[in-house]
Amino acid sequence: MGLNYYQIKKNILKSRKLVIRSTNLAGSGHPGGSFSMAEILGCLFYNHLRYDPKNPQWDERDRLVLSKGHASPGLFSNMAVAGYFPETELDTLRKFGSKLQGHPDLKCPGVEFCGGSLGTGLSYSIGIALSAKIDSKNFHVYTIIGDGESDEGQIWEAAMTASKYKVDNLTVFLDRNFIQQDSYTEKIMPLDKKLDSENLSEMWKDASRWKTGDKWRSFGWNVLEIDGHRIEQIDAAIRKANNTKGVPTIIISRTIKGKSVEHMEDNPAWHGKAPDTDIVPIIFDELNSQFMISPSIIAGDMSNLENEIKRCVNGRADYIHLDVMDGQFVPNKTFDFNKIKELRPLTIIPFDTHLMINEPQKYLQNYIDAGSDMITVHAEVTNASSFGEIHDTLKQNQIGVGFAINPDTELPEWFIPFIPSIDQLIVMSVVPGKSGQQYIESTHEKMSRLNVILEQNNFSGYIEADGGVNLQNIGSIFNDGARAFVGGGAIIGQDDVRAAIRDFRNEILISRRGALLDKAHKLGGQDLVKKWINLHVIGEKQKEIQKIAMERGYL
Amino acid sequence: MNEPVFTDMRSEYSKSLIRIGHENPNVVVLGADTTDSLKTSGFGKEFPNRFFNVGIAEANLVTISAGLAISGKIPFASTYAIFLPGRAVDQIRNNIAYPSPNGNKGLNVKLVVSHGGLSVGPDGGSHQQIEDIAIMRVIPNFHVFIPSDTVSVSKLTDLMASNYGPYYMRMARSATPLVHETSQEFKEGQGITLRDGNDCTIVSCGITVRMALEAAEQLQNEGISCRVIDMFSIKPIDNEILEKAARETGCIVTTEEHNIIGGLGSAVAESVSESYAVPVKRIGAQDMFGESARDNEIPLLLEKHGITSFNIVKQVKDIRGKKI
Repeated sequence: MGLNYYQIKKNILKSRKLVIRSTNLAGSGHPGGSFSMAEILGCLFYNHLRYDPKNPQWDERDRLVLSKGHASPGLFSNMAVAGYFPETELDTLRKFGSKLQGHPDLKCPGVEFCGGSLGTGLSYSIGIALSAKIDSKNFHVYTIIGDGESDEGQIWEAAMTASKYKVDNLTVFLDRNFIQQDSYTEKIMPLDKKLDSENLSEMWKDASRWKTGDKWRSFGWNVLEIDGHRIEQIDAAIRKANNTKGVPTIIISRTIKGKSVEHMEDNPAWHGKAPDTDIVPIIFDELNSQFMISPSIIAGDMSNLENEIKRCVNGRADYIHLDVMDGQFVPNKTFDFNKIKELRPLTIIPFDTHLMINEPQKYLQNYIDAGSDMITVHAEVTNASSFGEIHDTLKQNQIGVGFAINPDTELPEWFIPFIPSIDQLIVMSVVPGKSGQQYIESTHEKMSRLNVILEQNNFSGYIEADGGVNLQNIGSIFNDGARAFVGGGAIIGQDDVRAAIRDFRNEILISRRGALLDKAHKLGGQDLVKKWINLHVIGEKQKEIQKIAMERGYL
Repeated sequence: MNEPVFTDMRSEYSKSLIRIGHENPNVVVLGADTTDSLKTSGFGKEFPNRFFNVGIAEANLVTISAGLAISGKIPFASTYAIFLPGRAVDQIRNNIAYPSPNGNKGLNVKLVVSHGGLSVGPDGGSHQQIEDIAIMRVIPNFHVFIPSDTVSVSKLTDLMASNYGPYYMRMARSATPLVHETSQEFKEGQGITLRDGNDCTIVSCGITVRMALEAAEQLQNEGISCRVIDMFSIKPIDNEILEKAARETGCIVTTEEHNIIGGLGSAVAESVSESYAVPVKRIGAQDMFGESARDNEIPLLLEKHGITSFNIVKQVKDIRGKKI
């Protein structure tokens, strides 16, 4: 299939919304475990799996076995997005006569395994993989198992067997979300180490506790350990797994149950419960409000950009923003594709390449070859014809398509037809050319004008705010509709990049929580506000949201 | 009756597997550390890349077979009866019987076990599976066969390989007397009338078929004519032959080395009670577990549960007096 990073992200968002919608309509189901594996399924469905939705029994297709079958809404949603059946069919989930059963079932063409009774999908996958070996077929088997599911002895019977028979055409994902039906895994049946303390965050934050990888290694597996919500990490792990011969691979993916919906995150209650109807629209807003931080390394030490990359990695940046300036389109000169090529091996974090150069179409291929994940070109130096060419080339190369406008540039008329398929729109809030400038306040007003045009023209990409973004204004920029944030001086200029990024995220979170409270209040007054707040039972969230609600006069 | 000729079911199964392995490249065989005992290792020597020994892991055995079957293979998975239905019923149900691809009923897996019933002998009650017929026939989509001799084993192995669907076949541990001519045809869902008679019908399976024939012979000497049916196909069961027997002989005695609850006797009673109700007497394990018995003591163990030709004779005489 092969979609770019942004398209994968958008499809993951779509499928998350379908999970919420379908479990709500069904009145039951398992959103928590569907969300913890959402990025894994997204990377598989939209970048790696070979399949044909019109011919689900295609002999050469890769096989996807969802062993943790209760997360079927996640599987079905992705199948709908991938085109196996219309999205509206998800409205029949768990209903009488539906092919979308409570657990994955062969009744639905394209589903490979009848899941539900846990612990069996790995053995089943081994059977498929062995069959492929007997017949010298090249398809690959991908299997998703759960951590609660790993209590089942059969998982370990299968682990030994896969190792014995060198089943290297099998890759397993362990959706390590630390939660099973009754409670947290490390309390019910530890995979790492029994958790005695009440401080749950130790489970997923204290790496010295993690023993699951050792278990699998001792069973003879190739073990990769990743953050299971980071697309680039999943992607890289799949590639490594596919290149590993002679042993099976397991990708231990640390995830968050209920990921992307704050009140579901890390809360065992959302293992198997559907959201209420009055809550659904608020959840949709929350899902639409996922955000990314993209530090701009030119705000750092230009003589040691390698080190700036490392600081971004340590800071857990979502992207790395690379400002390419040619000294013509803008007065300054930074670096070109050669530098990007040098930096590329240092990290797998997506490169968000921002071309502030004349005639970008001329150099585009160089920037693609250098390893950019998304490339943004400027309105001021493109036209319908050159941008059309750039757009098509980028899509064909699985690169995100970005378009940028300067503070005194409006969206050109010719650009309107491109709006639905664009991945990123950068609305510059400083005059490009050098870092350290002040945010231009009129950008807020410009954003509200732009939002109307974008909505009218089915924009489904991300707006990236670039220029003068700091802790003081980031909340209001988020409210304007930006979902990606370039941080120059306010992030890279700081001593502690990690803390700066964390502070950015916190500020956005406060803003987002406020917006969701506004939504709740608008839809159901104080009652719904209270209901929304009371859903947030894990950690300090409830107190923090309560405070915001009080400030807004909702309580 | 002729002196019995004893032959070994497992050896016959092994021969049959190799034969069909040559005929059909999709046939694969799986074992769980009992492949020498089940004699499936012979297939492994002939077809090393189509043979998998998964160790003492029966759940895994069953589910790997399911994965092979969904990919077009015809897996024969074998171990002792006590470790398949007795241990892995969830995998049998959810991984083999339930998944129904492309309008088929269940997956194309053949579970063939040895060491069924009480005649397992010295290993004791822990290893004497007297519940498997009940367990397997209650699972939708499964077919259940209990062969009475090596001719049956050979023919039924062929039949399972050529018919799509999930099958369970239970063999006995010990060598068993030949019952059938090699020319005997076996059709799924059709019992075989081995002896005709009008006064009573004995419906049997497995090692008790020979006992039934011996009992019928003795009864004949006393002027009682018994019909004897080898009901090797317990599911689907032959409703037609049973109704006919009920109408024509008026009473039925069933024999099996399985608990009288849920086994062949139950299946026969269920059938005739819906077609032509007549008295049915079930001979089998008396809802009690078995126990150790050395090979030469197995008849004593069977006798404890009334599984003897002597008791069959007794029960036939008794039930004739209860005809409606």
